[in-house]
Amino acid sequence: MDKSLHLDTVIKTHQITKEKDLLDKHVQKKNEVKEALEKEYGSNVYAPFNSGSYAKNTAINTKFDFDLVSPFKRNAFGSNGTLKEMYEAVYDFLYNKYKNDAEVRKQKVSIGLEFYADSDGDKIKIDVVPGRELNQEQYKDDENLNLYVYYKYGNIAADSERIKTNVQSQISNIKDRADKEKDSIRKIIRLLKVWKNTKGNYPTKSFFLELVTIKAFDNSDITGNLWDKLKAVMEYIKDNVTNDGFTLKDPGNSSNDLADTLTDSEKQQLANDMKNMLDRIEENDENIKTYFPENPKFKEEDKNKNKYSTNGGMPVPPPKLNFG
Amino acid sequence: MNDRVTEINTVIESIPDVKLIKPFEQGKFDIEGCISVFVEGLEQALNFDVSISPQYPFKSHDTETIKFSNDDLLEYKHIMGNGSICIHTAQSPLLSEKLGYDIASVKAWIKKYYINKDTDTHYEHLIVSEKAFKGNHFAFFFNEVEYTFSKNQYGFVDYSTLSNGVFYKDKINSNIVQKFYDRNRKILADVKWNFQLKSLPIGGGLFIFLKDAPSNNQRWIFDNWNEFETLLPQDFLKFLHSIEKNATKEKGKQLPLFVGYNITDTEIHWQVIMLEIGNFPIYGEKVNQQWLTMIDGNRTIDWAMTRNCSYKYFFGRGRLNEKLTNGKILIIGIGAIGSIVAKTLVRSGCTKVDFIDYDIKEPENVCRSEYSFFTGITNKTNDLINEMCLISPFFEPTNGGYDYSEAFDFFLKSHLTDTTIKTEIEKRLNEYDVIFDCSADNDLLYVLSQLKINSTLLNLSISNHAKQLVCATEQNRYEFICTQFNGSVLKFDIDDLHNPTGCWNPTFKASYNDINTLVQSTIKHINLRFEQNKALRNFVVETDDTDCFTIKLKEF
Repeated sequence: MDKSLHLDTVIKTHQITKEKDLLDKHVQKKNEVKEALEKEYGSNVYAPFNSGSYAKNTAINTKFDFDLVSPFKRNAFGSNGTLKEMYEAVYDFLYNKYKNDAEVRKQKVSIGLEFYADSDGDKIKIDVVPGRELNQEQYKDDENLNLYVYYKYGNIAADSERIKTNVQSQISNIKDRADKEKDSIRKIIRLLKVWKNTKGNYPTKSFFLELVTIKAFDNSDITGNLWDKLKAVMEYIKDNVTNDGFTLKDPGNSSNDLADTLTDSEKQQLANDMKNMLDRIEENDENIKTYFPENPKFKEEDKNKNKYSTNGGMPVPPPKLNFG
Repeated sequence: MNDRVTEINTVIESIPDVKLIKPFEQGKFDIEGCISVFVEGLEQALNFDVSISPQYPFKSHDTETIKFSNDDLLEYKHIMGNGSICIHTAQSPLLSEKLGYDIASVKAWIKKYYINKDTDTHYEHLIVSEKAFKGNHFAFFFNEVEYTFSKNQYGFVDYSTLSNGVFYKDKINSNIVQKFYDRNRKILADVKWNFQLKSLPIGGGLFIFLKDAPSNNQRWIFDNWNEFETLLPQDFLKFLHSIEKNATKEKGKQLPLFVGYNITDTEIHWQVIMLEIGNFPIYGEKVNQQWLTMIDGNRTIDWAMTRNCSYKYFFGRGRLNEKLTNGKILIIGIGAIGSIVAKTLVRSGCTKVDFIDYDIKEPENVCRSEYSFFTGITNKTNDLINEMCLISPFFEPTNGGYDYSEAFDFFLKSHLTDTTIKTEIEKRLNEYDVIFDCSADNDLLYVLSQLKINSTLLNLSISNHAKQLVCATEQNRYEFICTQFNGSVLKFDIDDLHNPTGCWNPTFKASYNDINTLVQSTIKHINLRFEQNKALRNFVVETDDTDCFTIKLKEF
C-alpha cells in the first residue's frame, strides 16, 4: 500500500472544515464563555482569547481543542491575591454559572467545561485557562502571564509552582512555523494528533507534540514523502525524548521546559509507543491504519471496489474471523 | 564385606574432620555405622549413628536416604522426632560424591544450629505424627477470623465435611471450620469461605484457645494427656464432662476438639484432637469434698491434621498482581478463552470475578474449555461458578448468571441512544476494575467502544487454528480488531473451520493446548504490565509451527 497516500486521506478526512456545524457550535460557545468572563470580571480581565489548536491551525475534526485563555490583571483578586485564589475564584464562577449545563472540572492548569450533549448529540468542550499578568497593566506590553498548576503536571508539582508564559508567542510560534512549512510540519502535527486521539486520555499534551515536531524538523534531516517525514519525526521522538538533556523550550518563556510536563515514565511510554508504531508498520504496512485511521464519518468508499466477494454474481458476506 | 560397604567406609575415612567410630556394616535392610564429625567452634566432635538405605544415593519420596542421628540433639532446630538431622542436599548419582555433600550438610547444620543456635525467620510448625483415628484420618482446614480469642476461652465449633478421600492406604475425611461459638452458643466468628462451602451440612465440635503451643520444646506436639494437666483449666474439663454427659445417645461418634495457640503476636494456629463421645480422657475425683474433673494422663492423644487455608497461605506459592487479585473483575463470554481466563484468575488469587454469558454448555465444549463432562447440559455461567467454587474457597461471584447476562445484552444493544440507561450501564461497568471481553461478539465490541468506561477493558479473541490471539486494550479497540482480522494484517486459514452437525455457525479449529498456550501468554503479559505499572497497549500473540514451535508477542 502507499502509506503516504493513506496519510493524506487521513488528513483530508480530519479536516476541521468538514465539521463546519460542530466548529460553529464551538466558536459560538467559546464566545458565550468569553462574554460571561468579561461581564463578570469587567476591567479586571483583558480580552480572553482562544489558544487551542484551532488558533494555531493544527486542529483535527475528531477533537476540538478550544482553550480560552483568560488574562487577568495583577490586582484582579486583590493586591495580595494568590494565583490559587485566582484559579479557585474562576472555578467557582464557572461552576455556579454552568453547573446545570455542563460538567465543570478542575484540570492541570485549566478549568474544563464539557457541555451536555445537545439535540444533535454533540458535546462542546471548552477549557478555560486563567492567567495573571506579572505586574499591574504590564500585559499590554509583554503579554506575559502566570498560570496556576492545580495538580501534578508531569514533573511540575501541584500547587508548588507557577508557570510564567506568553501564550500569544506560543500561538504565533507554532502557527508561523506551520504556515511556512505547511506541507510538512502542520501535516505531521495533525497526524500525531490523530494518533494521540486513538489513545484516549494520553498524558502527552498536543502542545508537546507540536513543539517536538518543530524541534525534530530543526534538528534532523526530514525529507521525502509524507510517510518518510512522519517516520523521521517518530524516530526523532523515540531516540531523543528520554535523553537526559532533552528539553522543549516554551516559545512563550524560554525558561519553561515543556519536557517537564511529562514524568520520566511517561516519556518512556511515549518513546516505547513510537518504537512499537515504527516496528509494526515496518512489519506490515496495513498496521498504519490502526495508528492513523481515517475519520470514518468522512471516509470515501472506493466505488469501484465491491465490498463483498462474489460467487457467480451472488454477493458473499464476509465470514466471521475472530472467535472466543 | 560387600563393595558398597567398603566404598562407604573408605569414602567416610577420607573426609576431613570425620572419623569412623563404628565401621559401616550391612544390617537387615540398611548399612549402619557410627561416625564423629568435628567443626571448628566445637569443643569436641559430635557422634552420629548413620543408616544408609538401599536406594542411596538416590532420594526416595523426596526424602534423603541417609540418616544422621543423635538423641542428645533433640532440643535443637531441624531435628526429627527420631533424633535425625533434617538435611536436604545436592543430588548426585555417585555414592562418593553424594556422601561428600551429605557430610558437608551435617557440618553446616552443626555450625548453624548447634554452635550458632540460629533461628529461622519463618515459623516452624509443631511436628504432629499422622495417625488414623478409629481407622480414618481426619483433616481440618481453617481460615483467619476477625476475632481475638482470649487465653483459655472455650466453646463450640461448627465444621463441614468437604470430602472423603484416600490417604496413602487409609481413608481420610477432609473438613472446614465454619463458625466459632462461646460456651453459651453465642456466635464469636463466622469463617469466610465461598458460598457453596458455607452451605455444606454442619457437624459440631469444641474448641479451647490455649494461647501457648501444646508442646514442651516448641518442636513436638504433646503425645499424652498428662502433658495437658497443667494447661487445661478445671472449668474447661467440667465443660467437657457436661458435653459428654449430655451426648450419651451419640456414644462412639467422633468429636473434634480444636486447640488454638499463637504462632506470632497476631496469628493463630489450630490443632485438632479427635475425641470419642463416651470415651473422653477425663474422670471424676472427689478432692476436699468436691468433685473435680481430672485428666486421664495415661491416654495418648489422637491428633488430626490441620491446615491454615487463609488467603495468604492458600495463594502463598504464587499469585497474580494485586491489581487483578484485589480487583473486581468481569468476564463477558466464557467459552474457550473466557473460561480459561476465569480459571487462571481464580487459581491465581482473584476472588471477585463475575461472568456474563447467555450460552449453554454442551458436551462438545468440554474438550477445549474449563468445563467438566459430569455436569451435562447447563448454563455456562452456572457451570463455571460451580467449577470456580471447587477451586478457590475465596471465590465470590456477586453479579452475573443467566438472567443478568440476557438483560445485559438486551439493554446494552437496544438502548445505546437512551442516555439514562447508557449512564446506568456505564455506572455498572465502571464498578469493575478489569473487564475481559472474551465474547468475540463484534457488535458488543462496538457498543462497548461507544461507552465511557474507566475500567481496564481487554478484548480477547483468537483466529482459526489458534494462530494468533489479539488483545485489544485501548480506546480504538473496535478499529484495531477489525483491522487485524480483516485479512490484510494477520494471516490464517479462513476455510478449514469446524462445522458442528445441525444448523449452526462454524467455529474455529484448535485444541485446549493450542488455545491455552495463547491465553496464558496473554495473561502473563497483562500481569507483567500491571507489575511494572505500565500502560497496556493493544497486542497480538502469534505462533509459528512451520518448524519448531515459536510464540511471539507484538505490542502496538
